Amino acid sequence: MNFLSRMSKKSPWLYRINAGSCNGCDVELATTACIPRYDVERLGCQYCGSPKHADIVLVTGPLTARVKDKVLRVYEEIPDPKVTVAIGVCPISGGVFRESYSIVGPIDRYLPVDVNVPGCPPRPQAIIEGIAKAIEIWAGRI
Amino acid sequence: MAFLSILMKNLLKGPSTEPLPTADSPTPAAYRGKVTFDETACVGCKMCEHVCPGGAIRFEERPEGLRFMIWHNTCVNCGLCSHYCLTKAIKLSNDWHLSHLQADKYRLTDQALVAYAACSGCGTKMLPTADALMRLAYKKVSPRSEHLRHLCPDCRRSASVSGDIQ
Ligand code: SF4
Ligand code: SF4
Ligand code: SF4
Repeated sequence: MNFLSRMSKKSPWLYRINAGSCNGCDVELATTACIPRYDVERLGCQYCGSPKHADIVLVTGPLTARVKDKVLRVYEEIPDPKVTVAIGVCPISGGVFRESYSIVGPIDRYLPVDVNVPGCPPRPQAIIEGIAKAIEIWAGRI
Repeated sequence: MAFLSILMKNLLKGPSTEPLPTADSPTPAAYRGKVTFDETACVGCKMCEHVCPGGAIRFEERPEGLRFMIWHNTCVNCGLCSHYCLTKAIKLSNDWHLSHLQADKYRLTDQALVAYAACSGCGTKMLPTADALMRLAYKKVSPRSEHLRHLCPDCRRSASVSGDIQ
């Protein structure tokens, strides 16, 4: 294994896709990253601004009909191997929006999901727990 | 010089970052997390199923009793079920350790059976009257209410009319 892949095992980059979320889960994701009490960067990961740099994808929201094609297009731009994490009950099952006319999710109909973090929204600690699971999977995949 | 005292205070306090995921983090007792269900207190009114906005709760009539099911992956932890449950058979615990691998998505459920009892008068199947409901309905549980408790609605009616309640 070369030096780069040995290093990237320990330092995956996170990327966030909002698939029509109410913003609750996104606020918790921001909290997880920005507040020293939680500090997700302790785990070696960091948020990045471009899907082309991402290793672990965090998806929030129930996948609305309007945003579906855009989400899938951005998702395709993320290089393989990648790990997908569903944040909140919305992407997992639809939550309160389940079976609504404007929802085409759950996202596992279209994307291969690896880890689910239920909650509405999940608390930052639960998100960290989920990301820790995702990092384990990531280390096995690269 | 005020910054020196702040510096000292912060030094003594230690890091404010929670030790997750290597150790547990403090959780308030009132935190609304995973739903728990107590089949001995449930009276089968199905109000929780009716008010649940996520459609997480399902009841099913079975020959042996009333089956309760909850899928935690669509529960939004709103607490409505617990708010409307008269006997508080359904409650929200402060357990938030629910993250799981995709393979376990449909295994994140809990099931329980509220088993039917037999009416002490005619033997027909009926949902047992929970202790929690007795405490709510009667100030004091008397031999009379204790006797009525084990009767089905039909037998209870005739027992009340005939005065045969001992
Ligand atoms: S899970 Fe809840 S908080 Fe998160 S996006 Fe859905 S509705 Fe909003
Ligand atoms: S859990 Fe409570 S609200 Fe739900 S059916 Fe039982 S008694 Fe009724
Ligand atoms: S907390 Fe809300 S969403 Fe969860 S089971 Fe109870 S009523 Fe349903």
